[in-house]
Amino acid sequence: MNPEARYRIEINDRARVLRVGGGETLLSTLKREGISLPSACGGRGLCGMCRLKVLKGGTEVTAAERKKLGEAGLASGLRLACQLRVEGDLEIEIPSALLGGKDFRARVEHIEALTHDIRAIRFRPPADLDFSFRAGQYIQITIPPYAEVKTETARAYSLASPPSQRETFEVYVRRVPNGIVTTYLFEHLREGMELEISGPFGDFFLRESDRPIVCIAGGSGLGPIQSIIQDMIDRHLSRPTQFFFGAVNLRDLYRVEFFRGIEADHSWFRYIPALSGKEADHPYERGLITEVVERKTGTLLEHEAYLCGSPGMIEACLRVLQAKGLPEERIYFDKF
Amino acid sequence: MTTPNLEEVQARMQPGVITLHGFLGHDPRPLAEILAEDNMTVAKHMVTHQQIASALRRLADAARNDLEREVLVEGRYRVTVRNDRGLLPSPWGDGLFEKGEMVVIDPTTGHTFRFNALSLHMIEAHGFYGGRGSPYRLDPLALLEALDLQPLGTTITDLRKH
Repeated sequence: MNPEARYRIEINDRARVLRVGGGETLLSTLKREGISLPSACGGRGLCGMCRLKVLKGGTEVTAAERKKLGEAGLASGLRLACQLRVEGDLEIEIPSALLGGKDFRARVEHIEALTHDIRAIRFRPPADLDFSFRAGQYIQITIPPYAEVKTETARAYSLASPPSQRETFEVYVRRVPNGIVTTYLFEHLREGMELEISGPFGDFFLRESDRPIVCIAGGSGLGPIQSIIQDMIDRHLSRPTQFFFGAVNLRDLYRVEFFRGIEADHSWFRYIPALSGKEADHPYERGLITEVVERKTGTLLEHEAYLCGSPGMIEACLRVLQAKGLPEERIYFDKF
Repeated sequence: MTTPNLEEVQARMQPGVITLHGFLGHDPRPLAEILAEDNMTVAKHMVTHQQIASALRRLADAARNDLEREVLVEGRYRVTVRNDRGLLPSPWGDGLFEKGEMVVIDPTTGHTFRFNALSLHMIEAHGFYGGRGSPYRLDPLALLEALDLQPLGTTITDLRKH
């Protein structure tokens, strides 16, 4: 046994047991052992994405944890992996949706402008890496320091390519005003560069059932829905599926012909793009996406819904879907 | 709750820490001075930071459900609200706030205001409007002109102290 491996970390009731040297945060320690937890704040205890349950052991709770987790969260055993230092044995529980994450460098193979503010970035992972994921999951992209950004910075992006596309994978990224990572991806990233990737993560994926499906997306949220629908085609699933895509103006629409093609080839699929802006000369549905869903669907008692978009869109869609009888437990969306 | 260390707060406001451009623009002054000057401006007009933040929030809330479509609010303001996934931490360490951008255009005065949930929090809780030269500075005088706020009574104890 390595004499420097002083401490024992038991994960998920000894599903995995690590022997580590200690002295680092649990987040860094797990990463070193090949278990990547998501983190969007550089380990400052701000984003809460690295939360897990500590059943036994653990250093003193930090002020950042008190703020982020609250007394109720702390009382239930939640801790932030970036705040807890490994200075003794630990028993921890990590959500299974986070356990599959790998760390690797991937080469940027292609960058394409999809709209005025959305880009597709295609990556090629190392040839010897088995990068498999469920349609709907996300990865974390870490960019290097640049300009006035002095540290590496990570953000989560949903995968837009289907799992069957084994040699490369794609994300769709929408530029965020004053955003640290999207500014880098739009202004500095070039084909041929490499970036640090972690993942896949997340429990946003198509559930196994026979229920009809409503998908609603806006902006770059089209990406994971596209992945799910392509995966359905690859797996010969033919559950009745309606895909509502909302945008403001014509310049915000993309992949229209792609989805029209799926509609033409697969009778179980309907694609309904909608524009809420003032432009008059177009063939698409008119109004907010919530208004279009309201008038184009009947009761949704038996359906499942998959939502991907801004928090505002998701809030608005939840209200409409629940009013149509869709129970909350069958409405899925990424909570990040 | 311990009093925040303004030097630490100012460090977190630098470009590249929380946002690309940070919150201070080219303002060379210590944060305490920036806060004091804007505090004095607001106090002279007998309104509060909370009134200003509430007025902006009211306009943004009126457009939130329009999912980035521009809305005419109160028959005067053209408002667009965009929100993005992810959260921004307050430089004061007192919360996480939705990413995004709210734009309020007031054709009456010609002013345009760009802000987000974090900006509103920093005005409301700390009287912080951004440093000079910051593309996201919300000038208190311009806000007072555009928002038609009514002064409170004569006391200045409504104002938050730093």
